[in-house]
Amino acid sequence: MNLNKLIVVSRSVKFGRNLFAARGACLHHFQSRRSIRSSARSLTYAKDLFLGKVNKAEVFPYPEISNEELEEINQLVQPVEKFFNEDVDSTKIDHDAVIPPETLNGLKELGLFGIQIPEEYGGLGLSNTMYARLGEITSLDGAIAVTLAAHQAIGLKGILIAGNEAQKAKYLPKLATGEHIAAFCLTEPGSGSDAASIQTRATLTEDGKHFLLNGTKFWISNGGWADIMTVFARTEVVDTDGQKKDKITAFIVERAFGGIASGKPEDKLGIRGSNTCEITFEDTKVPIENVIGEVGGGFKVAMNILNNGRFSMGSAGAGMIKRLIEMTSEYACTRKQFSRSLSEFGMIQDKFATMTLNAFVMESMAYLTAGMMDRPGVPDCSLEAAMVKVFSSEGSWICVSEALQVLGGLGFTKNYPYERYLRDCRILQIFEGTNEILRMYIALTGMQYAGKILTGKIKEMKKGNVGVVFEILGKKLKDSVVRTVDFGLTGKDGVVHPSLTESAKMFEQNAAHFGSTVERLLYQYGKTIVEEQLVLKKVADVLINLYAMTAVLSRTSRSISIGLRNHDHEVLLTNTFCKDAHFKNNFLLTQLQKNSPENNDANIKKIAQEVLAKRAYVCSHPLDRTF
Amino acid sequence: MNAPRHLLRIQCIGCVACFLGKPVKRLVLPARAHLQTPGSQHNYGQLLRPFHHSAVCSTSRPSQTQLENTADDETLNKGKSLVTHDDLFERAARDSKTKADFNRVVDVFSKKDIRRRGHVEFIYAALKKMPEFGVEQDITVYNKLLDVFPKEVFVPRNFIQRMFNHYPRQQECGVQLLEQMENYGLMPNVETKVLLAQIFGEKSHPMRKYQRIMYWFPKFKHANPFPVPHVLPSDPVELARFSLTRIADDLDAKITIYQYPSTDITETGEEVMRPHIVGIQSPDQRSLLAKHNPRKPVFVEGPFPLWLRKTCVHYYLLRADPIPPEEKVEEEFDPEMIGPEQSLFYPQRVELDLERDMGDDFSFIVDDVEEGPVYAMCMAGQGDQATLSQWISGLQETCPILGQIPTVFRLDSGPRELQTSSGAQQTPEQEVETEQIIEEEPLLSQRVKQ
Repeated sequence: MNLNKLIVVSRSVKFGRNLFAARGACLHHFQSRRSIRSSARSLTYAKDLFLGKVNKAEVFPYPEISNEELEEINQLVQPVEKFFNEDVDSTKIDHDAVIPPETLNGLKELGLFGIQIPEEYGGLGLSNTMYARLGEITSLDGAIAVTLAAHQAIGLKGILIAGNEAQKAKYLPKLATGEHIAAFCLTEPGSGSDAASIQTRATLTEDGKHFLLNGTKFWISNGGWADIMTVFARTEVVDTDGQKKDKITAFIVERAFGGIASGKPEDKLGIRGSNTCEITFEDTKVPIENVIGEVGGGFKVAMNILNNGRFSMGSAGAGMIKRLIEMTSEYACTRKQFSRSLSEFGMIQDKFATMTLNAFVMESMAYLTAGMMDRPGVPDCSLEAAMVKVFSSEGSWICVSEALQVLGGLGFTKNYPYERYLRDCRILQIFEGTNEILRMYIALTGMQYAGKILTGKIKEMKKGNVGVVFEILGKKLKDSVVRTVDFGLTGKDGVVHPSLTESAKMFEQNAAHFGSTVERLLYQYGKTIVEEQLVLKKVADVLINLYAMTAVLSRTSRSISIGLRNHDHEVLLTNTFCKDAHFKNNFLLTQLQKNSPENNDANIKKIAQEVLAKRAYVCSHPLDRTF
Repeated sequence: MNAPRHLLRIQCIGCVACFLGKPVKRLVLPARAHLQTPGSQHNYGQLLRPFHHSAVCSTSRPSQTQLENTADDETLNKGKSLVTHDDLFERAARDSKTKADFNRVVDVFSKKDIRRRGHVEFIYAALKKMPEFGVEQDITVYNKLLDVFPKEVFVPRNFIQRMFNHYPRQQECGVQLLEQMENYGLMPNVETKVLLAQIFGEKSHPMRKYQRIMYWFPKFKHANPFPVPHVLPSDPVELARFSLTRIADDLDAKITIYQYPSTDITETGEEVMRPHIVGIQSPDQRSLLAKHNPRKPVFVEGPFPLWLRKTCVHYYLLRADPIPPEEKVEEEFDPEMIGPEQSLFYPQRVELDLERDMGDDFSFIVDDVEEGPVYAMCMAGQGDQATLSQWISGLQETCPILGQIPTVFRLDSGPRELQTSSGAQQTPEQEVETEQIIEEEPLLSQRVKQ
């Protein structure tokens, strides 16, 4: 950065004579931009972090639900919890790789197949927040959680968010009761995450009333049982300029339409009770009324379904870890080694702290995001939802592994459920967009957003506009003199409780640093940033940490303010997590600096390239000799 | 060059004279030498061979006496001819030149005279004769030659000797021997080291040479990332398979054997030799070929040489001219699928009006020269058009478009050494239609044809 500054300064001398004219023009430019931005209510939090802005109105105070809603959800939670504790035999489900019909019927009776379907269609009509709350309990059995999620988080979501009245009236009531089960058919043999290569094709019949669907879909959860499927296929669409083009269209397909064959259920590592299989469509006749949205508009439907369905993984993970903490602490406190109970050993305590912190952060993130999504208006929470998914899927994996470790060899046996939890939870990092892909999504979406706003400024900077340079240098100088960044989280009109001031300061520091880093990355890489996956990964990680810090700060501030039970424990957790995340962020941001010695990216790439060129481990054996 | 050497020799003689004058030291010396030997044997436990006595314990062979006679003759004639040691080898190997013969000559020389008179000349002569006997790659033979040097005589005994070039002619000879090993890419072994230590001492020039070789040779042993085995496969099909995978550095590339070498008798009783045709093509090449504009010709070119150590093989290319820039079709992507904020999973590109700007650019400027695509490669027993067109028709099985593309054969006169069988070229035209292409199948199935 210093070098850049030098170059910029040297250039600026050259352009010195244009000083006044340019400065005037540029200031005007920025002012007009600012006024445009402030006019519309911004509904983004994470994206604005890329600009170094903390949109505190979005995340403070922590979202709440009304008393009536709370009562309603508590009434719902009790029977569900009872059902899962008493009637669900997870070991058997895992062993037989099938959910018994009694269990499914029980779930249906509880209304768990229509949690988010409005009441007029026979569902429970719950908000995202309440859905997340139920997710905490359903996650106690991975197979059931996945079955339910495939049914309503993605399977019928298309009808719910983009279907017309007739479609809703026709399909939702039966889906809500669980009489019909839904599935989401997007993935294909040739296109896992690469949706652009979808091969399934729908052709209009001659009478123009039906589409003929042909193709194969892979890894469809509930594929074996589903009666209603949301299927994405290519259709030929005539463009506005008269050209024929292939576009994706979403269809509601009933199994009764015929021509649908399901393959054998896949034998999986975890979530064995859920049904995953291949579905083949052969001249399936789909009436034209069953198009979701409009023909050629399936893409947006798919995007909306996928982007907003991920937040519940946070609460699900937290629910699972909370249960694990209960089970393992029981063991740790009773088991004696060296005439002391396990709970007295520091390394065991470390594991419990890790589990607690993770559950706490996941929970905070999940309910913050759910609350943002429940807010009126059209909030753009896809980034937040993706972050919740990445954080909680990785956190769950670590926590389950630690829980298993507490039990040692016992945890490794099938007598205890830990190995099942471990297997079940591995899928979290894979489905609904792998974590790698979501990291790319998080970083690139933010970069794109920031880039659009910052392009003008960066271009002026590159041109060597003295005005902009002075503005930036002045800001840098001010930063270095004042040393404190203030986004107004603390202090007189602060939104964070004073007992969290230190943590809030750490967050502010990171957020400001992140903003300037993003700006520099855009300056350096421009549109080629897409190719810099290792950079983007770090950007995404910093953002996830920032969002997690926000969530815990917001939640704990509320808890203290309204005096929730054990809020002092929350303060402890928040301060611990924020300190930890602060250091992690500092390290990541240092790595992102230009020519930083901490950055090993070039080496990492080289290692991989050398190995991949040979497609084998290239080192000689340590026992080999040359003479 | 000679003058200093003489001077040095005189100095050495002076030193020796000094020694002779002091009998006490002579007594001490064998004891020290004796102490040294067990030490070195302790270091290299597997060395059981007593080097000191090697000259004595040699096996008796029938022709030995005869050779000894010649050796005696030679010593008698000494002074008359300078090439006497060469002669010894010449005479020993009148009918056969093998390792055993070579070893016998060395044995004879060692046994003949306890003082090993003339051993430097003998070693030089032996070094020169080694390639003739085919033992230039044999470490044991070199060690045996080193063993000819008398032991302990040339080891410096005091600091003055150590300081000056002690027995320069002998040391030079030892260095020469090591250098020949080096030139043949042969690494000395522990036995060599022990011998050198016994003959010249720990800090002599040959020892230094040995140490330098041992420093560099292991470092360079695996310097070649594409090693060629010392023994190449003798089967032409196997050789072609090896060579083609060596050229096509793509792990996905697939070898296809279009024809196995065989000899057939036609109805007229003529012998028809059918050459082998082995081709290689990667999936990328295949898809490139599928996209080739059928109006443009493709060329079969060759033969091009490929050297594998001392063997030269030839290969042929199927290639096309580079696509002119105006005909290049940019692959269109649906902006909806890959565009920013629209992609299903993550955007494949961002819409920014900013270029990459990393400040100082230390990368090299590389000017890419565009070349035409190479679609496939092959090796064949014969480089005539008929054989190669068989290859092309074989390629058509996987790339049907090749049938519509005009194919131009641009062949140089084929490799001389491969065209020795003159009768083979006479009737390949008749065979073309009935040819079968067998992919990666054992030789037996070839016989089932027709």
